[in-house]
Amino acid sequence: MSTRPLACGLLGLLALATSAGCGSDGSDVTVGLITKQEENPYWVTMRDVAQTTADRDGVELVTATGTSDVDVDSQVEALEQMTAAGVDGILIAPTDSEAVVPAIEAAREAGVVVIAVDTPTDPTDAVDAVFSTDNVEAGRLVGEFARAGVDELGAEPVVALLDLAPGIASGEERLEGFLAGFGVEQDDPAVVGRVDTEGDEDLARDAMAGLLAEEPGINVVYTVNEPAAAGAVAALEDAGVDLAEVVVVSVDGGCEAVRGLLRSGQVDATAQQYPENMAREGVLALAEAARGGETPTGYLDTGVRLIAGDPVQGVESESIEFGTRNCWG
Amino acid sequence: MTAGPTVPEAAAPARARLVAPDLRLPFVLLVLCFAAWGAAANLTDVLVGVFRSIFDMTNFQASLVQFAYYGAYFLLALPAALITSRFGYKAGVLTGLGLAAAGGVLFVPASQLLVYEWFLLALFVLAAGLSILETSANPMVIAMGEESSATRRLNLAQAFNPVGANIGVALGALLILPYLTTEAAKTIMSEDDLLASQERDLALVLGPYLGIAAVLLTIWLLIALTKMRLPTPPDAGLNASGNVLGRLWANRHYRYGVGAQFFNVAAQTCVWTFTIIYAQDVVGLSSGASGWFLQASLIVFLVSRFVMVWLLGLFRPTLLLLVMALFGVACCVVAVLSPNIVGLLAVVAISASLSLMFPTIYGVALQGLGEDAKFGAAGLVMAILGGALLPMAHGAVMDVAGTAAGYVVPGVCLALVACYALFDLRTTREQVPAGRGVS
Repeated sequence: MSTRPLACGLLGLLALATSAGCGSDGSDVTVGLITKQEENPYWVTMRDVAQTTADRDGVELVTATGTSDVDVDSQVEALEQMTAAGVDGILIAPTDSEAVVPAIEAAREAGVVVIAVDTPTDPTDAVDAVFSTDNVEAGRLVGEFARAGVDELGAEPVVALLDLAPGIASGEERLEGFLAGFGVEQDDPAVVGRVDTEGDEDLARDAMAGLLAEEPGINVVYTVNEPAAAGAVAALEDAGVDLAEVVVVSVDGGCEAVRGLLRSGQVDATAQQYPENMAREGVLALAEAARGGETPTGYLDTGVRLIAGDPVQGVESESIEFGTRNCWG
Repeated sequence: MTAGPTVPEAAAPARARLVAPDLRLPFVLLVLCFAAWGAAANLTDVLVGVFRSIFDMTNFQASLVQFAYYGAYFLLALPAALITSRFGYKAGVLTGLGLAAAGGVLFVPASQLLVYEWFLLALFVLAAGLSILETSANPMVIAMGEESSATRRLNLAQAFNPVGANIGVALGALLILPYLTTEAAKTIMSEDDLLASQERDLALVLGPYLGIAAVLLTIWLLIALTKMRLPTPPDAGLNASGNVLGRLWANRHYRYGVGAQFFNVAAQTCVWTFTIIYAQDVVGLSSGASGWFLQASLIVFLVSRFVMVWLLGLFRPTLLLLVMALFGVACCVVAVLSPNIVGLLAVVAISASLSLMFPTIYGVALQGLGEDAKFGAAGLVMAILGGALLPMAHGAVMDVAGTAAGYVVPGVCLALVACYALFDLRTTREQVPAGRGVS
């Protein structure tokens, strides 16, 4: 495991530690941001917006990041370092909802306000507040779209579910929302298969190929994220399926997918989430608290919109242009 | 085309002074006017995308900004010439400056009322003033010195117009675009928060326009308080008899030239109006980053102008016009068919093709008209109407078929300009008597 990204972030902390708890650039508030990865466009967007917001609000931002979505050690180390350095607040996107909780509790005991962004902790009240996408709503939006879409095709739904993995809250919530929006239970005969893909394109491609081999008539594909959607589309094309006769939906709203999969019509709709809202609102809330304002509590829904190239009747959606303007990455 | 100066002849020096000594300060002030209307015009290009974002409008609705702006220019073209002719250059310039400054100040009530139509009214008044200012300032500059240095003087003053244009876009790119509330942020706002964000964003728009109004008012005061001896303006040349109109209408090079100029101005306005929106909607750039592509377009336009001046010395003007118009059409096709960064670069490249069109069409259409050229020039200037009308068509196409598809509209406009160039290349003109032709 490389520790370079973390080390880079901690260099900033070292400078912070020597400045007696005051931002080295003269700002009165210091906020830490701990993301999961260095390169993923989702986290890059979150970091960029946090930095811009901090600059405009006179806040010093220190950042740290792990090396992967499961790099817990780096996050725990960053939490400890930031707490020791005397930051006023921390935004963290936990790589493991439970494993980071002891370090978060230690930070809060030291007077640091902590907000979980994107992913809640377990238990959720281990942090002061959670700022994240309403994943149930995201799933519901694409579920309603898929139902209206397959109805417009005039076909009986034959549904494939390309899920995330067991025990991951965001995936479970999205699937729950999709099924509710589509109007079926998971054991409904219309659902012909559900496979865990870990949100990975190659795994999703293999999974979709397997499902098509068992049931060639699949005409609705739910994918937990856009890499999984790309894999599903590839498998459908490999199998010679006419994509005009299949409704493929997903969740995320990243730029690559909106400009590629959605604009080309390969994916019919996606629920777009907004990491920029998590970052901006998080920095502003922590700054306000540090300046004597209210401490953030509870849950903030950071917004989700349905993006569709061809709208379906009865389901409100935004255009590809809207999706492109507001995509992340 | 501008009427020649009527400054009394003096003993010709070896090299004529650029500006009469007692008119140096007024000349500098007029140069600032050239920059000011360039800034205002191109800041308006930025506004279309800004208003679309603030008022959550369609592209068609947002394009009404250009309808108000260029519509005012069109409607005031003839009255402006009459004001100058009747009351003199200084009165014309002061009227234009005053009206334009009033337009800038009207942004204050508009931004408090939060009503789009008020902004359109403010823009209309601003553009009406600038139309009068432009119509008066050009001949006034010519009249500010000896005839032999008039072209140099006008060229120097006009050189500040693109400088102002770049400043206008930079104002938008630096002071407005990066600070606009994003649509993503609006997705989680309450009604009250949305209203507050609208007020905040409109205050961003207010700043640059109040700045422009302050500059215009300052120039107004300085010009009003400065004594200047200027010759009486010549007759505006607008009392044309039906015979002149008939002759002009019968001249196909002129008649089609007015049409070509209409479509050239239309193409230019469409391309610049929707560059920022293309960058945002198609490529996914942020508001702040997208402004720099409009800036790049203006720089390409400026640099290409110099290159075209050189090329015009090597090739027949309409041949170059044909080639560049076809290049522009090709760029529009790329913008439509390649909805990504390549398409955006093609949009920027269209400005190279636009750079030679206005003066080339102007010259070709008026060639050989003799005394009729004075009236004929007014028709070519009024072709600015294309800038008011076609952006609405562009916006409507975008709303129906997508942002990239909208570039079909300037593509068709440039194709029609190419047709005009081809027409000129394939037809012959009647030779006019020496001394009556317009160069």
